[in-house]
Amino acid sequence: MSARTITPTPTRSPWVELIGGQALALGGAFLFAALVGALIIRAYGVSPLEVYRIIWVYSSSELSDFARVLANATPLIFSGLAVAVAFKAGLFNIGVEGQYIVAMLTASMAALGLDFLPSALLLPAVVLNGMLGGALWALIPGLLKVRTGAHEVVTTIMMNGIALSLVAWALLDPLKSSEQGLVDLRTDIFTTKALVPTIATSLGLEEQIPGSVHLTWLFPLALLSCALVWFLLFRTRLGYEIRAIGSSSGSAEAGGISIRSLQLKAFVISGALGGLVGLNNLLGDRGYLGHNYEIGLGFAGITVAFLGRNHPLGIALAAILLGMLARGQEGIAVTFELPSETLIILEGILILSVVIAYEMVRRGLARRRQRAVRAEERAISTEGAEDAPA
Amino acid sequence: MPLLDLGAAVAIGLRYFTIIYLTGLGGLFSERSGIVNIGLEGMMIIGTVMGAWGTLEYGPVAGLVIGAAGGLGLGLVHALATVTFRVDHIVSGVVINVVAVGLARFLAQTFFGQATQSDPSIPHFDKFDVPLLSQLPLGLGRAFEAMSPVVPAAFLLTIPILFVLNKTRFGLRLRSAGENPGRDPSRRCACSSASLRRRHDLGSVGGAGGGLPRDRGERALPRRPDAGTGIHRAGGSDPRQLEAGVVDARCSVVRIRSGGSAEAQRRAPVISVLPEQFIRMIPYVVTMIAIAGFVGRVQPPAAAGRVRRRGGSL
Repeated sequence: MSARTITPTPTRSPWVELIGGQALALGGAFLFAALVGALIIRAYGVSPLEVYRIIWVYSSSELSDFARVLANATPLIFSGLAVAVAFKAGLFNIGVEGQYIVAMLTASMAALGLDFLPSALLLPAVVLNGMLGGALWALIPGLLKVRTGAHEVVTTIMMNGIALSLVAWALLDPLKSSEQGLVDLRTDIFTTKALVPTIATSLGLEEQIPGSVHLTWLFPLALLSCALVWFLLFRTRLGYEIRAIGSSSGSAEAGGISIRSLQLKAFVISGALGGLVGLNNLLGDRGYLGHNYEIGLGFAGITVAFLGRNHPLGIALAAILLGMLARGQEGIAVTFELPSETLIILEGILILSVVIAYEMVRRGLARRRQRAVRAEERAISTEGAEDAPA
Repeated sequence: MPLLDLGAAVAIGLRYFTIIYLTGLGGLFSERSGIVNIGLEGMMIIGTVMGAWGTLEYGPVAGLVIGAAGGLGLGLVHALATVTFRVDHIVSGVVINVVAVGLARFLAQTFFGQATQSDPSIPHFDKFDVPLLSQLPLGLGRAFEAMSPVVPAAFLLTIPILFVLNKTRFGLRLRSAGENPGRDPSRRCACSSASLRRRHDLGSVGGAGGGLPRDRGERALPRRPDAGTGIHRAGGSDPRQLEAGVVDARCSVVRIRSGGSAEAQRRAPVISVLPEQFIRMIPYVVTMIAIAGFVGRVQPPAAAGRVRRRGGSL
């Protein structure tokens, strides 16, 4: 009888391969996007390297610059998390946009209606009301999904449209400011007790960080949310079940998990996180809800989630990266004869190439693993044939 | 003054109808081939800018074609991502929408020297009165006066589209790709090329939708040119039974109701009991109700949105 000749499969652990592969994919995608971006910038007769340098300079040279980047990143972290939680359950929440718009409305209602409360109670009430509004707006498509099977992509998009009209109506009628002679359409200004203080004022950094930088305590809250979402997804039973239905709803159901109630739960959690997206703009910057509130943060969340691989840590980093690009846009606008929209295109190319690169790496790794398993099987079966009596 | 100027309401409905219907046809093609196209919105936006530029340079007909080509370009990107690289359809569509907004502003800056609109006085199609219909009594005839030729053209497009979809080999392959791409091994390879081709058509029709408003020289390009309409259409074109004819009926009804009533409200104070914002919600609510299956069962193609993998490959 021959000695066992099975060669051990490569000793690198799959974990190392995965991390290495993803780093490779990310690097490749960044390089590709930078090259395509360079072509566009070149066509405008501007040096691409100079443009990339300006983005870096504008987002990192001073403390206040970096604070601006983090302020930009704050809503994106929330909206990326909202998308990711739903996605982990195999659901597409395209409706973060509508959810945060409605949440801004409900938060404003709380800020205006509960203004008799002391600050320690009012602020949490406002934030919770925002989360409640977002969760409620997500509940409708969630219910339609589990009750009638209506596809959540379509229904959440419809909910976005309804949200815009709802807020427009609220600003025109019930919440319209009673102040005379207003040019802008807006609510009354909130009491300062309802506003989130900036980190700079709380830490006495007004010298370095001017008041125009709206880096508030919502940023630490965003980081905390990342940690909580990570804990929820990877360390609790609910999170395990959410990931189970996301990766294989069939096996999850066979394992005794109720898909419908979990999908609904995931959607509501997603909506509650979505409810936090608009608050930095509402409570950290303006102090009232006006008709020209910031839009598009919900859709940006989708790109953040995919750039960050739907992982809380990745989402935080991706949001900061997009925050840098947004800051860089300001730099480009004042430095070059180049439409600052170039950076939005660059962002899109980057995301598309990241998604494609990850997919290619995933397939490559899966194929390798498949080959390794096959080789092992073959080795075992040939050995079995040798062992058999002739 | 009549309570409700029906003719004007229908005219506005028809105008919206054309834009959404053309985009809906794009959605129809891609959905039937099994590819979900959330990116229609972006294709409309690019179609609008490209169409405006084409019209400015070469006249309205070329403008339509160039607008369609703009949509086709993005359709190709979507096809490359979803068919060749098997990226999730929704992810790709959303990214296309993000890129399109930036690209549109970038192109507008390049073409017109400003990011948000072109010269409003660009050439456009001559308007004409539809014979016979414009003679209708009770003010209804107004709906068919001074109409852009693109409106009836969009209507007439229904017939060739139905033919292509149901009576040609191409249409059969398209539909089978959407229902069960892996069923017949001999057809497998054809599938990816068929749906690649598919996407082209879809992109171009989607683009044409956007091209239209510009060609008529009626509309400035706002920050979000066709905000919501492209996506709205993608929603509506989901259902399987949604033959071209149905797209037709559904959009026009919905839009006439929403577009028309907003205008009618200004003219007839009787309707103003309901705030305009709620009237604007109607199309979205109607779509949700339709999708939720309260009005007959609507079923998308079996393989819609699924990334196709050949055989057992990963």
